[in-house]
Amino acid sequence: MKLQPPTDSDEAVRKPNFWMMLLLAALVVVGIGALWFLGDPSPRRGGLPRRFDYNLDPYMKIDPALVRYRQDAVVPVRLYDLRAIAVGPDDAIHVAGDRTILVFDAQGKRLRRMDLTDAPRALAVDAQGNSFVAFQNYLLVFNNRGETTAQWESSARRDVFTSVALGDNGDVFVADAGNKCVLRYDRSGKIIGKLAQGDPRNHVPPPVIPSPYFDVAVGSDGLVRVVNPGRHRIEFFTPDGHHETPLDWGSAGMDVEAFCGCCNPVAIALLADNRVVTAEKGIPRVKVYSPEGRFESVVATPEQLGATPGREVETREQHKLLAVDLAVDSQDRILVLDPDAKAVRVFVEQNTKDAKDTKDVKNP
Amino acid sequence: MAEKSPTINRRKFVADGLRVAGAAGLFGAAGLLTMRRGGEPINNLWQIDPNKCVACGNCATHCVLDKSAAVCKHAFRMCGYCNLCTGYFEPEAAELTTGAENVLCPTGAIVRTFVEDPYYEYTIDEPKCIGCAKCVKGCIAFGNGSLYLQIDQDRCMHCNECAIAVACPSEAVRRVTAETPYLPKDGDPES
Amino acid sequence: MMRPIRFVLFAVVLLAAASNAALAVERFPPPEFTDHALPTTQFAPARPAFIQYVDVALLAGGLALASYLALARRSRRGLFVLSIAALAWFGFVRHGCVCSIGAIQNVALAAGNANYTVPWVVVAFFVLPLVFTLFFGRTFCAAVCPLGAAQELVAVRPIRVPRWLEHALGLLPHVYLGLGVALAAVGTAFLICRYDPFVGFFRLGATSAMLIFGGCVLAIGVFVGRPYCRFLCPYGVVLGWLSRLSKWRVRITPDQCIGCRLCEDVCPYGAIEPPTSALSPAARPAVRGWFVFFLVLLPVLIAAGAVLGSHLAVPLSRLDPAVELAEQVWAEDHGLTHVTTDASDAFRNTQRPPEELYRAAQSQRVKLAWAGMGFGAWVGLVVGMKFIMLARYPRQTDYEPNPAACVSCGRCFWYCPQDQVHRLQTTKDTKNTKTAC
Repeated sequence: MKLQPPTDSDEAVRKPNFWMMLLLAALVVVGIGALWFLGDPSPRRGGLPRRFDYNLDPYMKIDPALVRYRQDAVVPVRLYDLRAIAVGPDDAIHVAGDRTILVFDAQGKRLRRMDLTDAPRALAVDAQGNSFVAFQNYLLVFNNRGETTAQWESSARRDVFTSVALGDNGDVFVADAGNKCVLRYDRSGKIIGKLAQGDPRNHVPPPVIPSPYFDVAVGSDGLVRVVNPGRHRIEFFTPDGHHETPLDWGSAGMDVEAFCGCCNPVAIALLADNRVVTAEKGIPRVKVYSPEGRFESVVATPEQLGATPGREVETREQHKLLAVDLAVDSQDRILVLDPDAKAVRVFVEQNTKDAKDTKDVKNP
Repeated sequence: MAEKSPTINRRKFVADGLRVAGAAGLFGAAGLLTMRRGGEPINNLWQIDPNKCVACGNCATHCVLDKSAAVCKHAFRMCGYCNLCTGYFEPEAAELTTGAENVLCPTGAIVRTFVEDPYYEYTIDEPKCIGCAKCVKGCIAFGNGSLYLQIDQDRCMHCNECAIAVACPSEAVRRVTAETPYLPKDGDPES
Repeated sequence: MMRPIRFVLFAVVLLAAASNAALAVERFPPPEFTDHALPTTQFAPARPAFIQYVDVALLAGGLALASYLALARRSRRGLFVLSIAALAWFGFVRHGCVCSIGAIQNVALAAGNANYTVPWVVVAFFVLPLVFTLFFGRTFCAAVCPLGAAQELVAVRPIRVPRWLEHALGLLPHVYLGLGVALAAVGTAFLICRYDPFVGFFRLGATSAMLIFGGCVLAIGVFVGRPYCRFLCPYGVVLGWLSRLSKWRVRITPDQCIGCRLCEDVCPYGAIEPPTSALSPAARPAVRGWFVFFLVLLPVLIAAGAVLGSHLAVPLSRLDPAVELAEQVWAEDHGLTHVTTDASDAFRNTQRPPEELYRAAQSQRVKLAWAGMGFGAWVGLVVGMKFIMLARYPRQTDYEPNPAACVSCGRCFWYCPQDQVHRLQTTKDTKNTKTAC
């Protein structure tokens, strides 16, 4: 009897009844429905809650009333990696990038081209047309015919030159982001002083420079403006290195009056009356401050400089954050070197009289 | 089981021969496929190319794992060690403190430690990280881009078709070899 | 002896330096702390390579054991235990990847794309079950495949699927195989992996759609034996063909079939075919007529399928990310849409010219047209062959499993009275048979 096969056991195949069929049909429908969702790889399916959003859009919009400049011209620059801009005699626009310096006249007509053997980082041009071109750790001086007249070395170890500014008496100030100081060269290329290097004995730290953006400019008053990007500040020094602390100004914040992000501004330039033009990265914007640091107006909005809403991260090469550089010509036109658009944008103050009026009303 | 007929025997022999030939052919084709090294090396791991990543957040939602295999890594040699870290603080942070309302990471996976004035160090508490890339956005938007996503090869299930790769808008997820399982942003961490 | 080692070390250092230089961003030096070392980024090590050897060894061992248990020992219990082990290892420990079913796609991709090098483990997973099937039938399905094992365990209330439905649904895996291979070969998608029913369970976590789909397959599997294996599994199609050619395969009875029909009731997979009576001489010309008709129809169906299939390029390319992106960018550039996608934003950021993308998409679409044509022809072939097989009138005297459909699970052994007699004769110990139920 042990050997009787269990024909009516649990394992035997049976005939389906109605409820079983109904259940099966339901399962098939649900299964196929699930397949529909399974096959959908569309981005943001389900998505993350809102607290996972990183949103800069509110800061990208700027009140049009604050914009008192208009774009007058765009000069396309046929370079891949745009680094620095400077204005020479007759308002000639010098642009450094790749391994080249391009020179345009004030109307944007290309005048000449100088080829370099290294990638330039910064540039300044004096009234005689001599160009001071900073590379990672040395400086070349060219005369107005494009011939090299001098090479200035630095003895320091971690040089990252980021800016050149020309002072009175032939002083050349070179911002060294790597060593966190500003070098003062004389016209023969000798280092005759260092500015903004801090004072460890009195617990004065050097400038905070988290990224290779560290700008310097010299005003008509002879004072050297040094950007302290990590502290979102513009600091004032005498050419021989004395820190004029009371003059310092600048504050951090996303709002239009302040400097945004972790380390800004990336570039400054001075108008004839020592008002300060600043450029920021992150929220790309160019603004004008009074010499004392009071916010006055916006020159270029994030929209103009190519920021797209909802797109904080761009797949630029190596995610290298390209920042704009600034220059001002003799007519107080503001030249913005836009590495994204690969162009020089020329801004002029619009309705100068009206703007002055409103300013006066605002700040009597 | 009568196996006397010579025709049946011959047929069996031929069939066996064909089977052996078939098996040999299969093995041969398999060998040919594996030996073919003209193209890419054997890429059997998935990894995110940080230079293509747009930090869209799909890694957190599309991985087959509940907690995504993508985690944030920190390239310490690229970091600026800022006090005001845009990868750590919300854009509108009221104060630069570790209070939850100021901190950007929704899961509190970034640890901020004071090093010396003015430097702060940021490290990732990886078990807490879900790969949402919010900090990556904040870091790249303003800073040096030292925060970036990588697929943790220990968490990764090594799917044949990576669900993140399918959902990635910038084709940043690709196969890599077992010899180079990571694509660190600051190059080889040893050197 | 030191020299070569030193040289190698030097070369490694040099290589590391070179690769570093290649990656080198224009890096800004980090601050130099007075009293704090710069930390290094920690990376969890990749899985050790030896586990792959373990996998392949276990696969080969499992196949050999399954074949032995199914054909020599005729032990349902042994197969059952083995399938639990396979489910545990290949499923829950190794999380279901890579599996033989998915390996089809890697092989197809390697065949279609000269640049892709398929890992040898994947090739081993693809080939080993095929070779075993060529000799022993589908023993892989019985107790080695984790997907099969999962369904084997839940098949407790099987019902009989009507023959017509079985034949119709039986076409699905062929279509699925064709589609999976076509899309994998052109590098568009690994469809078979995307719709894997159980991988979410194996990983103990998945999207809800994945879990619902897998749950439905399992729930259906309670009533309809092995629904995935029979009506979806593309690898089962390949194994089915090879099983028809296999040297040995599962037989229900070890001796002479006495036609008791007990086994017919017990196969949950509808694989057992009854003996056929001799065809009456009057009916013979009609059967032969149909057979010849379908034989002639076959090339027509293949051609029609190919023509129809070549029109599939457009719907198929919806699955292709490159083509989809190209279409989106085109639509944006021509004002057809104002909504950008993450993908199109990312593409714009690269500043690559759209023409480059269009060219890539175009060539991909051409490839997809060919793949669609192949797929259509394949479907034509499958349908035609189905007709031919249905029109055949094979002579069969015993109850025998259909070699293509039988997954060697061994459920029928216990129901065959001849088998029991055989067991009594060969073993005095009845412990085996008693516990078999």
